[in-house]
Amino acid sequence: MLESVPLLSAVNLHKSYGKNAARVEVLRGLNLDVHEGEFVSVLGASGSGKSTMLHLLGTLDRPDKGSILLEGNRIDNGPAEERDRLRNHTFGFIFQFYHLLPELNALENVLMPQMIAHSFWSWLVHGRSLKKRGRELLERVGLGHRWRHRPRELSGGEMQRAAIARALINKPRVLLADEPTGNLDAATGAHIISLLRDLNQNDGLTIIMVTHNLDLVADTDRVVRLVEGRVELGDLIKSG
Amino acid sequence: MYKLLLCWRYLLTRYLALACIISVMLGVATLIVVNSVMSGFSTKLRDRLHGLLSDVVIEANSLEGFSGPAEKMAKIRSVPYLNERIQAMSATMEVFAMLQFRYPNGERVTRMVKLIGIDPKSRDQVGGFKEHLVYQKKNAEASFAIPQDVKEKYENDHLRLIWKARAEQREVRDEEGRPPPEPTPLRVTVPCGVIVGNLLASYREKDPDDPAGNIITRYLLTKGQEVILTTVGGQKLAPVYDNFVVVDYFESEMSEYDSQYVFVPLDYLQRLRAMPDRVSSIQIKLKNYQDAKDVVETLKMLFPFEGLSMATWEQKQGPLLHAIAIEKGILNVLLFLIIGVAGFGILAIFTMIVAEKTRDIGILKALGASNWGVLKIFVTYGLLLGVVGAWLGTLLGVSLTNNINKVENFLSRLTGSHIFDPGVYYFNEIPTDIQVWMVVGVNLGAVGIAVLFSVLPALRAALLHPVRALRYE
Repeated sequence: MLESVPLLSAVNLHKSYGKNAARVEVLRGLNLDVHEGEFVSVLGASGSGKSTMLHLLGTLDRPDKGSILLEGNRIDNGPAEERDRLRNHTFGFIFQFYHLLPELNALENVLMPQMIAHSFWSWLVHGRSLKKRGRELLERVGLGHRWRHRPRELSGGEMQRAAIARALINKPRVLLADEPTGNLDAATGAHIISLLRDLNQNDGLTIIMVTHNLDLVADTDRVVRLVEGRVELGDLIKSG
Repeated sequence: MYKLLLCWRYLLTRYLALACIISVMLGVATLIVVNSVMSGFSTKLRDRLHGLLSDVVIEANSLEGFSGPAEKMAKIRSVPYLNERIQAMSATMEVFAMLQFRYPNGERVTRMVKLIGIDPKSRDQVGGFKEHLVYQKKNAEASFAIPQDVKEKYENDHLRLIWKARAEQREVRDEEGRPPPEPTPLRVTVPCGVIVGNLLASYREKDPDDPAGNIITRYLLTKGQEVILTTVGGQKLAPVYDNFVVVDYFESEMSEYDSQYVFVPLDYLQRLRAMPDRVSSIQIKLKNYQDAKDVVETLKMLFPFEGLSMATWEQKQGPLLHAIAIEKGILNVLLFLIIGVAGFGILAIFTMIVAEKTRDIGILKALGASNWGVLKIFVTYGLLLGVVGAWLGTLLGVSLTNNINKVENFLSRLTGSHIFDPGVYYFNEIPTDIQVWMVVGVNLGAVGIAVLFSVLPALRAALLHPVRALRYE
């Protein structure tokens, strides 16, 4: 049987930071394929290159060597505008520290990727329907009643849910979650994972989640362990 | 869309931005007030200078003047180009003189003056004379004629003196005890009228009875009073003098003129100086001042070897007008430095805001914002600060300018001393002239500086690496 083309592939990724003596090699030939609709969790010790891998996959950074392929097409060496567009349309990001903009309320934060995608005039035309979608997403993550609240008025779990709604507003193909529960208590963390699982199962959203927490990976399709900048071979803890 | 939203929110939530707005506002307001006051002074000065000097002047280069002004004016009129452009002409004789009169306490006073002989009728057509007369400004035409009341007063005063002298004479008796023979019938000749500069005849002081301290004018040389004018005349320029009676005052509000000018009829001055048909200048009023330079050139060609100089009023007052323009230019450069300082404030504050917003910039880039988009957020923010600051500054500057005299009164009451002393400047109020192009220019300059100084921090923000920005603590 012919294997389908992975949605997202990392091929022999190398990435290092710093110069000369202070140079730290974070990724040392990382290879990873993620198929459409997969929920992949990435485990690894601190400094193993999990976040760096996520940043490279999401075109936030460029690899020193190697390539990133989206449906077989290389995306890491494209022009800045193309990579901006991918981050806006194709990838959704969730961060450990939520990274909501403090000046905006929950709804405005959720709508931010749409605002980036639309010009002023286009927003005047489509703004109303987009706001409706933003409110619906907030309803879905359980924050329908808090849409007017600023991030400082929300709890950690609520902020993360708002961040998930923001990541979903442009209907991305891949959700990149960088320790989404790292700053939350166990119960809230579990709730967030359950939300992600729901998005994966019901909406077919491809999710790559970086985490430290072994307890959270149970609900994911596949677990990948990073050791010294590479995916540890033959050590799949679980395969969906 | 996100750029506008973020700019607006940064404007509302960052108190540091208020400092930028206030500095731009103060700079703009100062520039508007100072420029408007300087323009007011300058416009008023130009109006007065131009009001006194005709558009074009033909002048003799010597005290003897030149002869045949009527023929010269006819010759000018005979040139169609000039005739079409000239509205009126008037011959004038100018010479230095000494003015003598008595103060009310009897003390004799002598002043150096500039004696000007004019023909009131043609001078009225040229302008710059009648409208500056204290008593005759509303008359149909200016005149040196002695008003009836002045004439009667003069005659009565002199008759009293003569009668007194004759009465004393009639006390005298000859050896046989007979009185002197009856004198011839009395006839007092009233001298020619003279119009003297207001500052020669008066002084200004604060009204001691007025609590507001308004300035009043006190006359030491009154209407109807006799004065003696001494000047030079004849071929040898020998001293000549005559008595005159004050019929009016000349008040141009230019202290240089009001403290020196004394006007008498041209024909009378020519007779007094024994210089018939000679004048020192011809004043020319044009239909359109735009033609002044061409008219001057044509006149130079018309009278090439006659020792005459021709100039527009601006050329005659060139150094003064040039000095005002330079002063205004330098002041503007200095004042724009104020906005420059505001610009550096924006640079510093923006750098701080960019540092503070580093993580937000990373978030925006992670969400797909381009470098150009991030740059535009901060440049638009600078633009917004500049526009708001300039707008508020314009409101403040225009309000202050429109109420500058009230502000001056308030500050004077507060400090107890006149900030703008009308006695010094000779204007009763601070003159202002708000020019729209100046306000627009100041606004554009201020907004431009705000944008310019925001570019560097905006570039820094735009070029931030998204991953480093996200990890920024």
